[in-house]
Amino acid sequence: MSSATEPEPAQLLVGSQVIGLRGGETVLEALERSGFDAASGCRAGTCCKCMLRADNPPPESQRGLRPTLRHAGYFLACQARPTGTLRIDQGEAPPTLQARVQRSEVVAQDVRRIFLVTAEPLEFRPGQYIEIFHPSGATRSYSVASLPADGVLELHVRLVPEGLVSGWLHGLEEGDSLRLRGAFGQCFHVADDERKKLLLVGAGTGLAPLLGIARDALEQGHAGAIDLVHGGLAPERLYLRDELSALASRWPNLRVHHCVLKGATKREHEGSLDEVAIRLSGPLGDTRAFLCGDAGVVRLLQRSLFLAGVPSGEILADPFEAAPV
Amino acid sequence: MSLYERLGGAPAFQAATDTFYRRMLSDERVSRFFDDVDMDGQIAKQRAFLTFVTGGPAEYTGKDMREAHASLLEKGLSDEHVDIVVEHLGGTLADMGAAKEDILEVAALAESVRADVLGR
Repeated sequence: MSSATEPEPAQLLVGSQVIGLRGGETVLEALERSGFDAASGCRAGTCCKCMLRADNPPPESQRGLRPTLRHAGYFLACQARPTGTLRIDQGEAPPTLQARVQRSEVVAQDVRRIFLVTAEPLEFRPGQYIEIFHPSGATRSYSVASLPADGVLELHVRLVPEGLVSGWLHGLEEGDSLRLRGAFGQCFHVADDERKKLLLVGAGTGLAPLLGIARDALEQGHAGAIDLVHGGLAPERLYLRDELSALASRWPNLRVHHCVLKGATKREHEGSLDEVAIRLSGPLGDTRAFLCGDAGVVRLLQRSLFLAGVPSGEILADPFEAAPV
Repeated sequence: MSLYERLGGAPAFQAATDTFYRRMLSDERVSRFFDDVDMDGQIAKQRAFLTFVTGGPAEYTGKDMREAHASLLEKGLSDEHVDIVVEHLGGTLADMGAAKEDILEVAALAESVRADVLGR
């Protein structure tokens, strides 16, 4: 009935419901007219309360959002006047997948690097996190350090004293199976400006997402300087040093720094992680920062780097919240 | 045309919010009130406040303002701190190129928020 030249009607798909858009109407107005209880506030693209997700939102409805949110398809319903069909994501949880342990190795006194292979492909961006199911049904989040092209999921698991899930994960052997789902999180590389300076700062196993983000940016041809700063309490707590050195010698725009609170040798800087990172990185006005690790450290980094000049919209943080033991 | 539009609208206010918040975090007279707050959430609120007082499109309710500051009253939030916020608001707008009379007008509007902030 419709010819190839006739434009596709502007419409919304919400679950199985189809809502035709009237001339000039925004997504928010159409949802309200159709009886949906859509959140909204300023209706002018400022407060972000009406934020939704879709695969192909109109670009003008993504103005002012963080780069990772834009990449993931988030948009402001009050600013969106789509021309074709827009399927509104209703936030279904991703499916649970089976996986098995391919390899598990000790990389620091209390940290294991565990490689998993999933039965079906898992869609993720390096730096995002997955949820691991303990046989009891409890879940814990772990960031992915590997790239989709690696064909494995690399996790860095710190053994938490009395920890239910970390203790079990440390005891898993090659071939053991487990369940997981993902991926989640807004801390990953978006290739929107290949010259931008990237500053990656993390403490402890915060290295996992940073390693994934650095490799992802480099493989995608990022040309600007990338500074990765890994912090720990003492030199023996820092891990994967050889691998990071190898990565830095392969890519001239990557610099890797180590920082400890106490007892630095020639190979580490000594001091508070935020101060060392700011000192090493130079002017920060045109920098995107990725901050990962325990929540307390990440909040400190967030505040310090913001005060030192990183724009708030360019700070991508992944604070690890401790699970109840 | 509102002051919000004359000063450059949404893109200008995105940058100005960072400046405004940096000013307050760096001011030891008020910085402690921001110690335990979520930075992203706080920046969204500051942006809505700046937008509101310059006549831009913002959702503002006295009730939200009261709820947001209730716990700070226990930490000693008082008139002198509101004065400091108004001072930084003026400084931020001056940096953006606002005229003196505009700043006075905004300061008067910000005054109307005082009772809500201090729970009076």
